[in-house]
Amino acid sequence: MEKFSAAGEKDITRAIVSEFAKQFQEYVESDCIIIGAGPSGLMAGRNLARTGKKVLIVERNNYLGGGFWIGGYLMNKVTVRHPAERVLDELGIPYQAVSEGLFVADGPHACSKLIAAACDSGVKFANMTVFEDLVLREDGRVCGAVINWTPVAALPREITCVDPVAIESAIVIDATGHDAQVVKKLEERGLFQTKGYGAMWVERSEDLIIEHTGEVHPGLIVAGMAVSTTYGLPRMGPTFGAMLLSGEMAAEVAAEKLQERLTV
Amino acid sequence: MRIALYDEGADEALNIAEVAGYLAQLVGVETELRGSPFAPDLPAERVSDYARRIAQTKIREITKKSPPGQEPLPAEIEYEKRRILGRTKAFGVPYDGLKLQRLFCELIPGEELGPEFVHIIFTNRLFATWDEGDKRYHLRTSLYAVPCLISTSGLVEAPAKPREYYLAKQQYERLGKDPLELKERFRGSFLDYGDRRLTEVAKGYAMQAVFYALTGEPFCQDKGCRLYNAHWQEEMLFAQLGSEYEFCPRHAEVLRNWRENDAERGD
Repeated sequence: MEKFSAAGEKDITRAIVSEFAKQFQEYVESDCIIIGAGPSGLMAGRNLARTGKKVLIVERNNYLGGGFWIGGYLMNKVTVRHPAERVLDELGIPYQAVSEGLFVADGPHACSKLIAAACDSGVKFANMTVFEDLVLREDGRVCGAVINWTPVAALPREITCVDPVAIESAIVIDATGHDAQVVKKLEERGLFQTKGYGAMWVERSEDLIIEHTGEVHPGLIVAGMAVSTTYGLPRMGPTFGAMLLSGEMAAEVAAEKLQERLTV
Repeated sequence: MRIALYDEGADEALNIAEVAGYLAQLVGVETELRGSPFAPDLPAERVSDYARRIAQTKIREITKKSPPGQEPLPAEIEYEKRRILGRTKAFGVPYDGLKLQRLFCELIPGEELGPEFVHIIFTNRLFATWDEGDKRYHLRTSLYAVPCLISTSGLVEAPAKPREYYLAKQQYERLGKDPLELKERFRGSFLDYGDRRLTEVAKGYAMQAVFYALTGEPFCQDKGCRLYNAHWQEEMLFAQLGSEYEFCPRHAEVLRNWRENDAERGD
């Protein structure tokens, strides 16, 4: 059997620290910070990074993928409705048709492929990291996020009085799901008001989620289920097509906005 | 009398030409298919203005009467622009029906606002009206005024589905299962999106619009009459599809008399 190389504990620690520090230093400033590594955030990150943009995804959990690992009722089969199977094809995720326009895939396979696609395209991640607040310019434009370690935020303040740090970007995408945490921070500051809950009659409207994906405030784009909270749209059911397509749309809008900044 | 029918993003299962043919035959008047109520050459600034004003009529909370002049978000206006221009038919948010109807009234040519015209707009937009009695909005299938609005989504969502459906739906939601699966279990007992029965049902609602123009009263108390104002899907399907007669004797006579008088007038 071939022997493992003789690198010691200190070498391993140095490798971790130096590579982490190097990446962190580099991504203190990026083109786009995405809050939330669920399907819409990963999709947005993957597509934007493919255009050569510098993208950092902030995720409060250790694991990436959000709810994309499992479908409803803790069962690990995920469904998408036409036309979102196009994304499954694009990512090389195997699936089968269960009825006209409805497709099912293995959650672990689908989610890991999406994460890998984001990584392959150049997206970097700050996992175990919570979004605490927005960074705003004097003109009210969103230009970054205030973040901290998840364990710090989870402990009582008297034990862990650890200040957060701020990172900057030209664009921030809120992909935090129904919590719409980033949009809610704007609301706390009186810069935005999410719309109510008028849409309770319809079970879901995935089309409306895509239609409303876009910039909600200068520098802030909303994607995925956060769109539903922001605009008071019907909730999405346990099918993931709209989240993937909303992520695609968010990347398109972000690319346009970044281009505008270059040309203005 | 002339009847103009419009398509403002109605469900694709609705055959408006067939509804027009039915009205022409039954009422004996000229009917006209006009497509979208928004003129194709509407200037961009008017598209923006209508889009903003339509977005202002959205209902934010069903238990709070929408205040006038609420400011929509840019994405809401952009979405309405795309709807006006026929680039999307996505739906799901409810609008204040009376405000929406007043807005659509502006789209009707001024010389056609008199009683000799019936304008019927089929749309897939959901709309509701405020009830001062229980202080909440109630979803509607149709609104009868100038113009009349008939919502194909309202025909699916407004009349209540069977009680067992709602009980099963609660169970599904508690289990985290997709309530859409329930539609298979209850198939046929209520109208659904893309339903092949939609055109036949819509004919009865179009006749309610005609009776509103003829008599000022679109509804009938008879549960077997197409003019019955159904609150349950079962009632709606019976009145429009299951009843042995289309119109009750009283309304059949009103229609017969009107046709005879119309022939005498030589209109």
